[in-house]
Amino acid sequence: MTRAGSIALEPAYLLHARPWRETSQLCEVLSQRHGRLGLLAKGARGARSRWRGLLRPFQPLRLSWTGRGSLPVLTAAEPSAYLQLPAGEPLFAMFYLNELLMNFLSRGDPHPDLFAHYGGALASLAGGQPVEPALRSFELVLLEEAGYGLNLRHDVVSERPLEPGLSYRYLPERGPVATDRDAAGDKLVFSGAELLGIAAGDLGSGENLRAARRLLRSLLDHHLGGRPLKTRAVLSAMRGSGAA
Amino acid sequence: MLLPPRLQQLLAALRCLPGIGPKSAQRMALHLLERDRDGAERLSAALLAALEGVGSCRRCRMFAESELCTVCASGARDHGMVCVVETPADVVAIEESAGWRGAYFVLLGRLSPLDGVGPEEIGIPLLEERLAGGGLRELVIATSVTVEGEATAAFLAALARRHSVPATRIAHGVPMGGELEFVDAGTLSHALSARVSMAGDR
Repeated sequence: MTRAGSIALEPAYLLHARPWRETSQLCEVLSQRHGRLGLLAKGARGARSRWRGLLRPFQPLRLSWTGRGSLPVLTAAEPSAYLQLPAGEPLFAMFYLNELLMNFLSRGDPHPDLFAHYGGALASLAGGQPVEPALRSFELVLLEEAGYGLNLRHDVVSERPLEPGLSYRYLPERGPVATDRDAAGDKLVFSGAELLGIAAGDLGSGENLRAARRLLRSLLDHHLGGRPLKTRAVLSAMRGSGAA
Repeated sequence: MLLPPRLQQLLAALRCLPGIGPKSAQRMALHLLERDRDGAERLSAALLAALEGVGSCRRCRMFAESELCTVCASGARDHGMVCVVETPADVVAIEESAGWRGAYFVLLGRLSPLDGVGPEEIGIPLLEERLAGGGLRELVIATSVTVEGEATAAFLAALARRHSVPATRIAHGVPMGGELEFVDAGTLSHALSARVSMAGDR
């Protein structure tokens, strides 16, 4: 039986949780059909919590909640699968995904496709797939869903399709424009082949992957408006300390 | 309100303690002033003395009254083995139970990039100094078994690898006296994947 304003067993992930009062926590959640939302998990940190060990990031969950106000209350939680956490860099990559979601999604906008991609990215990171391609394809979908979709097909000035042999400068919020500068002097200059490769989702090759990293990093930074990503700093500190 | 301003200030101050709401604060304050003024005197003196006299150990960040805490200053401890924990309460718990003869390092937190807690905030530079100083034979990572605790452990392991110090992670799985039927799925799955050989018991 469901009361008005209550949601039952919605597929969801916990993005982040903060302690609230003595034993409760405020959860930031990404759900399949209701997008990002805040939930109050009463007593979740108590010694005898029914959700002990369950409400953690990256774990595929089914959540029920009630209340329509700004802070609905969690009423039930169960695991929908068990995700074995990876160690090392892939784990930090997962935190990075969460930080991106926290920064780019606002509460209450549903993004079912992004939800599916997020689940896929977590599974491939947990399954030991290469980190970089997984991050890049997630970033592409995220920007698309957040309303900042990339133009990787046409020159925005001449309106002609991109040509593999030409160089283009990518203007944030607009798209590629043919240029005669080369990538050495300008981090936003790419070959047509690289942009078309990224558009086709071909991130297997080293060049395309490096180009995608350069392009997406600039665009993410542009849309974040100077806010730094903490997980990126931790990840590079970890790489600096000799992790694979 | 009926109570005089100074008493109200005391109520407000008591509420900084964990688990103390307005009711408990009032009960404590009234008890101290009504029945136990000596106790109140001792409490305020002890609080002041602790605030002034207790700092943190410059090697392990544990609470200490001098430069070094009792463990770091002790000649009976094995300083080549360092157990990394999140809080001073963890040190107390290990000291009370486990017969650990090595030293400690207290992070005073755990990595949580989304809360703005990075390597600097948990004292990694100080730990790195100690790893670089040589003489460490093992870094035992005893952070909590949460996602953030595991992330911290992964970070520490990478750090230890860079300084060629062997790192170990405390075991986690089925608790003592625990029956499998009542163990949660995550713990059980981990316990199975991290099983240990019993060949030595033959």
